[in-house]
Amino acid sequence: MEHLPQQDQRPQINGLLRVVTLLFAVLVLRLLYLQVTTSDDYARESDENRIAQKRIKAPRGLIYDRDGRVLARNRAFYSVSLERTTRKDFDATATAFKEAIGDHEINDNYSRRHRTIRLKRDVDFRTVSIVEELLKADWPLLDIEIETQRHYPYSHSTAHLLGYMGIIQDQSLINAPGKTYMPGDFIGKTGIEKIYENNLRGLDGVHYLEVDAAGRTGRELPELDQWAVSGNELHLTIDLEVQLAAERALPDTLAGSIVAINPQTGAVLALVNKPTFDANIFVSFQAQEERQKVLQSKTTLLNRAIRGRYPPGSTLKMIGAIAALETGITDTLSTFEACAGSLAVGDVVFHCNKLDGHGEMNLLEAIETSCNIYFHHLAQILGFKTWREYADKFGFGHPTGIALDPSEAEGLLPSRQYYQEREGWTFGHLLNLIIGQGAMLVTPIQMARYTAAIANGGYLVTPYLSGEPPERQPIEGITPATLKIVRKAMYQVVYGNRGTGRRVQIDGIAIAAKTGTAQVPNRNNDAWFVAFAPYENPTIAIAAVIEGGGGGGAVAGPIVRQVIEAYFKQSGTADQAATDTLLTAH
Amino acid sequence: MRLFRELDFLLLAATLVTVLLGVTMIYSAAFHSDSTAVQNAWDKQAKFAFFALAVSLAIVYIPDKVIYSIAHPLYLFGLLSLLAVLAWGTGDDAARWLRLGPLRLQPSELAKITTIIALARYLSDCTTERINKPRGFLGALCISLVPMALIVRQPDLGTAISFGAPLFPMLYWAGMRKLFIFLVVSPIISVICSFEPLWQGAAPYIFATFIIGSTAFIHLLLGRLWVTITMIAVNLSAGLITVYLWDHFLRQYQKDRIMTFLDPESDRLGSGWNIIQSKIAIGSGGLTGKGFLGGTQTKYEFLPAAHTDFIFSVIGEELGFVGALVVLALFFFIITRALQIGAMVKNRFYSLIAIGLASMLTFHVFVNIGMTIGVMPVTGLPLPFLSSGGSSLLSNLVAIGLLLHIYTYRHEY
Repeated sequence: MEHLPQQDQRPQINGLLRVVTLLFAVLVLRLLYLQVTTSDDYARESDENRIAQKRIKAPRGLIYDRDGRVLARNRAFYSVSLERTTRKDFDATATAFKEAIGDHEINDNYSRRHRTIRLKRDVDFRTVSIVEELLKADWPLLDIEIETQRHYPYSHSTAHLLGYMGIIQDQSLINAPGKTYMPGDFIGKTGIEKIYENNLRGLDGVHYLEVDAAGRTGRELPELDQWAVSGNELHLTIDLEVQLAAERALPDTLAGSIVAINPQTGAVLALVNKPTFDANIFVSFQAQEERQKVLQSKTTLLNRAIRGRYPPGSTLKMIGAIAALETGITDTLSTFEACAGSLAVGDVVFHCNKLDGHGEMNLLEAIETSCNIYFHHLAQILGFKTWREYADKFGFGHPTGIALDPSEAEGLLPSRQYYQEREGWTFGHLLNLIIGQGAMLVTPIQMARYTAAIANGGYLVTPYLSGEPPERQPIEGITPATLKIVRKAMYQVVYGNRGTGRRVQIDGIAIAAKTGTAQVPNRNNDAWFVAFAPYENPTIAIAAVIEGGGGGGAVAGPIVRQVIEAYFKQSGTADQAATDTLLTAH
Repeated sequence: MRLFRELDFLLLAATLVTVLLGVTMIYSAAFHSDSTAVQNAWDKQAKFAFFALAVSLAIVYIPDKVIYSIAHPLYLFGLLSLLAVLAWGTGDDAARWLRLGPLRLQPSELAKITTIIALARYLSDCTTERINKPRGFLGALCISLVPMALIVRQPDLGTAISFGAPLFPMLYWAGMRKLFIFLVVSPIISVICSFEPLWQGAAPYIFATFIIGSTAFIHLLLGRLWVTITMIAVNLSAGLITVYLWDHFLRQYQKDRIMTFLDPESDRLGSGWNIIQSKIAIGSGGLTGKGFLGGTQTKYEFLPAAHTDFIFSVIGEELGFVGALVVLALFFFIITRALQIGAMVKNRFYSLIAIGLASMLTFHVFVNIGMTIGVMPVTGLPLPFLSSGGSSLLSNLVAIGLLLHIYTYRHEY
């Protein structure tokens, strides 16, 4: 070589040695930290790695009606699943499965995240046998898994009440401590299923297995296993016979709602809406189209019984009557100027439901015939403040407290301020309000509670669906004598010669009721009917509304009649109801 | 016989012990595998070790000065083999191998050696003065960049970066001023300083501090205004381009990939899986390990690529901190021995080769072990002498052969 040694000016080797030493020191310190300082943490993680926890899903609690009839049960179904493996194996297996069953709509999204990937859930028996008999020999990672799913035997009749289940979407629940939910799990989305989710769900068990990272299972470790604890049974106050009768009675062509409660306790006996849906489609893996249709139609999912807001029409007249009797404005004998079919107040002419007029009548007759003119006269003496005070006492404008999801609407009991903020207050507003028109809005459940309060002698109950009845509140300043007169008037609605509710008469059961025909913008009149029975010692209070149904007595009355019939037709119901009443009459 | 007496037996012994340990641990790592090919990896590795050792000893007996004279053809041969990979290469997700009859070779492994030889030749031909001029530096840079570019095309980023590792130590050894090395490296530091995800919001301050600090440093030491201004411009644009690329150019999935690269914990079951499982393996090994064949992380296949890239995790799990320290001690000995040889040999060309080889070994050891213990990102670089893989073993034993060769001629100019 031509280079001379003096040309070779090398730096000291120590610089490079120091760099190498420094790098090795980093490695040694890090190893010291991993293997000595924090070794225990890693040892534990290593143990957890070795032992796989396979979840044993707890069976969901069944839901029963008051007589132990099953309203929601669990159905077993088959799913084809694939143990965690390499992407290559996964794709090959998924493709083989697709081709074997001739169905390409499967979940073939590979994910390392899940130990088990469900290729297709809720498969038919043909698919199960294809997997078991043909595929499993060549594709050992394929497996048939038995899952359970909610099933509602009375699909449409209980849909709004029980609600429905759906695949969990809320990531915060999945990530919550305790790992209660896993992706793909079903959770109560609405109704009873949602409200009682924590009771119904139960406690999942764990099955321990020694596995490798590919998810292949080895030795079982039974000493570690934890059994699953099934969810609690849920007994509802619902009377299935009444519920089904109400669902049958409501016309399929019109929207409407029926709520029946025990007036003494607030126990909900039936809660039905139309239109309704089959809650089973929400847990089905096949009914995608039907599900979309229901989800897109806002009116189908609407639980009208607690969220529908309607003007109550003449069914509200008892408020005016009670206010007038309590304040001494009228009694059972006093009469006003004869009803001539219309009444002019200021510039406005108010019409009665009978165009040629009802003639001269007292309070009982005015309720029996549902005379508007009588109540217009009453309103002018009563005044807005007093009337509103009594409407408020019967719970209008307030939630009833029923525990159901989505939560109930409050309705609207307008205040003077409400009008002042809008078109301004005139006395004509009260004339409308007293006959249940104008801005007033109520929910069917509020109407059922109001009817119950009249029936039970002045107690405001909280409608409930399960468990012990909440304590009922006595309504202040309402004397039993007043309510007795009102009940008598409601009895006359059904049995009086001129009664608007004569169509609901049933042999052997005394019924008291009130009809309502509410004018609503943009559709036919809403038909209303509230009733309680038996007249003495009532055990059922009902409110029904048919949107655009027309006359309350003609349309809603016969529907309520079918429900009351179904209620009393059951053997022993009368006794049962009597016992309930005795037990809860504090 | 003179040559036999001149052999560096300590270096040879340390290497043989390391290779033997590698074969043993490959046996353990692959023992529970389903694949017979993997199960027999230790056998293949042992056979290859004999072959590679023969090659390595043959290199010792190459006459003096021959390697110097064939440095250019060797480099060309390395480049051609890399081109051949691009044309006919095979591999699972990147074409890295060349099939030669029954053998599968990874030309990038051998190109590492030929590139170091070429660099050593170039730098030893240069005067110190020339190396401190831009032209001299650019020549060395080109020698490294050409094979790097070919390997990036495979694509194999980790291996490509490893070609840059010997460059700066060799430049330093050849007499390049530290300040100039800093000038060349500073744009890379600018990129790192301005990279937001690393600093969690503090990037602007860190970047500004670096720009001000480096400018002051350069100006005070060199005192040439045009150099200072050029460096400010280069560093500023390097940083700003980084910010721009990150904010406006990269797609979300690309960002995610970089983020998991930096922080594997953020994707525990995806790309973070390997690192986490490796840390669990090493950490759970504790002081003395779970014993040979006793590693559960390995046995239950939680540890990926246990017998190749993650062989150190198997050692950490089964032999514990003690075993890991022994491995580190072996490497430390081999590397410092290489540096000492570099310092003691009289011939400048040989000296530079020794420094280059030591740098290459250091880079591989630090990046691979660093990866298994979570201080370096996952790059797929093998651990010298230990990872299962013929090409890597061959090139590393050739490196040892070269060091032994250099050692025997340490007194010659």
